[in-house]
Amino acid sequence: MSKKTRPTPGGSSPRATSPRSAARRARIHPVVIYPFVQPRDFTDVEALFDLVGRLDGDRARYARPITVMDKKTCRAPACARALAKFRAQVVERHSDVLDAWCVDTCQMWYAGLGLAHERGRPGDVYWLIPGDFNYGSAVGREVLDRLHDLPEIVLELKQDLCIGEIATDHRNSKQLIDTYGTFALLYNWFPVEAREIREYTERPRSEFFAVEHRFLDRCLLQRWYPYEQTVVMLLQAVFNQRKISRFFVGDITDLPEGGESLTSAMQQVERTERVLKNVWRDRHQGRKDWIQAYRSLETQSDRVRRTALMILENLLH
Amino acid sequence: MSWSDYRKPLRAINFICHAPQAKSVSLVGDFNQWNPSSHPMKQMPDRSWLLTVELKHGHHRYAFLVDNVLTLDPKAQGVTRTDKGERVSLVPVS
Repeated sequence: MSKKTRPTPGGSSPRATSPRSAARRARIHPVVIYPFVQPRDFTDVEALFDLVGRLDGDRARYARPITVMDKKTCRAPACARALAKFRAQVVERHSDVLDAWCVDTCQMWYAGLGLAHERGRPGDVYWLIPGDFNYGSAVGREVLDRLHDLPEIVLELKQDLCIGEIATDHRNSKQLIDTYGTFALLYNWFPVEAREIREYTERPRSEFFAVEHRFLDRCLLQRWYPYEQTVVMLLQAVFNQRKISRFFVGDITDLPEGGESLTSAMQQVERTERVLKNVWRDRHQGRKDWIQAYRSLETQSDRVRRTALMILENLLH
Repeated sequence: MSWSDYRKPLRAINFICHAPQAKSVSLVGDFNQWNPSSHPMKQMPDRSWLLTVELKHGHHRYAFLVDNVLTLDPKAQGVTRTDKGERVSLVPVS
């Protein structure tokens, strides 16, 4: 389908409404995950915080944005002075900074979404914005202009979860990992749910998403697995017959720091397997014969993972 | 007031369905209460089906009824569910 319109710029403000109607309206809570490794060039984060600043200026629609920063990022000597200046002049101006010692990005998600959820109420929507993408490029700016659609889709269409999908070609490392690793493992451990997830997205590990208050509440209060939260949320959504949407947010690539080496790809496949094992055990350990079923799936999973790693070695090495 | 009411101006959106063998194609969506007869599409010389519809700002759910079969738009910008749980396509209008 072609259309004559262009996506709405993220910063365009809606028409002013009366205070009474604004008071009743659900709000969108932006949660920014600051890059773990501070790039020497601030172009990408400057572009990101241009958007955050616009969101912060639209209090009728958006709650005060939250930026989660790992304390290790702030202490890295490479660009500590420049980061401190950027943080004081830009990040803190446009958002509340949540400093935390985090073992990984998933903990940053948990901390940020948890704090936003404490500030929210039923009907609100929480919008995760990953920081480590090339937003400073022309294509990245286009993506920034589309991201606002994710929480708006949840609000307008009363969805529980909206996943942002990035266009990639079939040789893209993330696409390869998802095709040969993530989905292969999902089909092993959760075949029915995997089929449903794939009806929505080819990127079940996307870091772009928006989630509704009650569904986030459920996700936060359950065990928070240390890896691949989007996969877990998609599974929870399917388990509980929640409404999932998928929206195309454009073409974008990771920053160089986020590029996939073979080692990184192997880690991603291995941790996807670990989290799926955990989720499966949590769902089935109440059954009498769960251990036999688990061992059978584990044997298959081992073969799936080995095959995935062999393919990725051939394709990425 | 719903979120889609903030900006009222209507925008013309082209819906194109590639179904050269179909006998009839219509457009259904939230904007016509999923009425199969209110938005018939017109077959073009290249045998694809076209309809231009003016929609207000917001996100709209829609699908094509190709010979009365509900069909997703493979080129849609998104996929979502209706209140009845059916998978349908999604178009943003700004």
